[in-house]
Amino acid sequence: MTSQFKNSINDYLEGLPEAVLTRLYQSPATCLAVFRLLPALARTLIMGMIFNPDPIAVADVDALVKPSSQRLKLETQKKLRLLHIFTETQAHIIINPTFKKNLRAALVGGDQNISFGVPCDTEDKHKVDVAFLDAHAVSQWEMILHFMVGTSIGRTPSDGVLNLLKHSGLMEPERGGLRITNAGFQFLLQDVNAQIWTLLLQYLNMSEYLQMDPVDVLNFIFMLGSLELGQDYSLSALSETQKHMLEDLRDYGIVYQRKASSRRFYPTRLATTLTSETAALRTASQSMEAATQDTISSSVAADSGFIILETNFRLYAYTESPLQIAVLNLFVNLKTRFANMVTGQINRDSVRFALSNGITAEQIITYLSVHAHPRMKGMEHVLPPTVVDQIKLWQLEMDRIRATDGYLFSEFKNFDEYKDVSTYAKELGVLLYENPGKRKFVSTLAGSQQIVEFVKRRNQKHRSSAN
Amino acid sequence: MPKATRGVLIECDPSIKALIVNIDSSQHNIILDELDDTHLMIHPSMVEVVKQKLNKMLAENTYNPNEEAAKATGK
Repeated sequence: MTSQFKNSINDYLEGLPEAVLTRLYQSPATCLAVFRLLPALARTLIMGMIFNPDPIAVADVDALVKPSSQRLKLETQKKLRLLHIFTETQAHIIINPTFKKNLRAALVGGDQNISFGVPCDTEDKHKVDVAFLDAHAVSQWEMILHFMVGTSIGRTPSDGVLNLLKHSGLMEPERGGLRITNAGFQFLLQDVNAQIWTLLLQYLNMSEYLQMDPVDVLNFIFMLGSLELGQDYSLSALSETQKHMLEDLRDYGIVYQRKASSRRFYPTRLATTLTSETAALRTASQSMEAATQDTISSSVAADSGFIILETNFRLYAYTESPLQIAVLNLFVNLKTRFANMVTGQINRDSVRFALSNGITAEQIITYLSVHAHPRMKGMEHVLPPTVVDQIKLWQLEMDRIRATDGYLFSEFKNFDEYKDVSTYAKELGVLLYENPGKRKFVSTLAGSQQIVEFVKRRNQKHRSSAN
Repeated sequence: MPKATRGVLIECDPSIKALIVNIDSSQHNIILDELDDTHLMIHPSMVEVVKQKLNKMLAENTYNPNEEAAKATGK
């Protein structure tokens, strides 16, 4: 369950078969979105290639990368290979022609294409502005979050949303209702951008059951990422599948439509920041702030911090939001609740409880520092270093021992034999541990067979040379 | 001819190693080989047992202010 959150859109794309990816790359908007999601080195390599009509020699690629960054280069190449953007032959790297053509189309324009959405050419009689869209997105999204922690704010999300929450394992059915799972709590700690991606990925998985074409779904998601906020777009360019999706996305607050029968839709800020880097760095509160009070200066936005953490591990949170209290309850031992604040203590048990639910120390610390009270933000360290260190230590304590399956090789006849065999194991990369003083070493499970073979060969050779 | 023994390599602090040796001392059915201060080879089937016992021992050795407070008010 933990791993599903690390499952970013990149991992999802890497898992797709080549045929599906090639179909995806037929949309310039998708190519651009994939390009934007790639790490910096991958983008550099691609930029070096897409305007070159010939395949690039491997040596030229090496020249682009510093020798000290070889490992990074190999990782990048592997990633691009998995995305089927690169095909490598002996001496050349070939870039996927579909990807090349359409990324070029996206960058330099030219071809008439509708993959970036078609703006409505008629005036909307009920035109809405950016502030309205932001408010709409926040209210829809918070409704889902509030529903997850069980605080009703008068409205329940639609059946589509409930199905998705159930399907993704964020909530599970219980006594006629739904109950949040551990995975759901982890979900709450993430920033909004990561949350949306988590839901969209689940949506993708679910769409396969609903016999929706994943290529259509992905193209639409990537298209949304490239739309302009405040602009209305026409439904005419969308496929049937995409029109169906629009209804679901409306429930998440990703797009806005005045009526279900409306011929136009507006993307909200949740949609337009999907593939941009800046949004990915934002935390829950910041994205919401950005979404709600975009034009207000940051000093006002910073006032939303509500947590005071003392060096004695006591925590005071000036909030009455059930959502925030529920999140705090994940790793704080809450004691008293007042009209406008809750108090509690962070201790070993409360942190261990969170850790055993798959929440990391890093997530806790990030959450605390992002939501720190403005008075704490003014200090040299936002959070008391003792508390931060202790939370990290508690995490380390969770796994005090590291266990690896393997084979212990011992009782070597002499040091030469030990030396030969251990060197061989080291070259194979299966050596876990060695102690030359005691002539003992440990290999991985997989490597043991080869080592045994090596010892047999070596002994035979020695016997024959002795004869 | 060298000997190959199936087991689980444990990496830990010297203090934890001492605890594992202590756990082993009653029955001697856990440790296959004490490699050095921070490495041990143990029986594959005993890994979970060791982890459980370690957790219990470590929990006993931590100070819990809440319990302390509960005890104080209990008096």
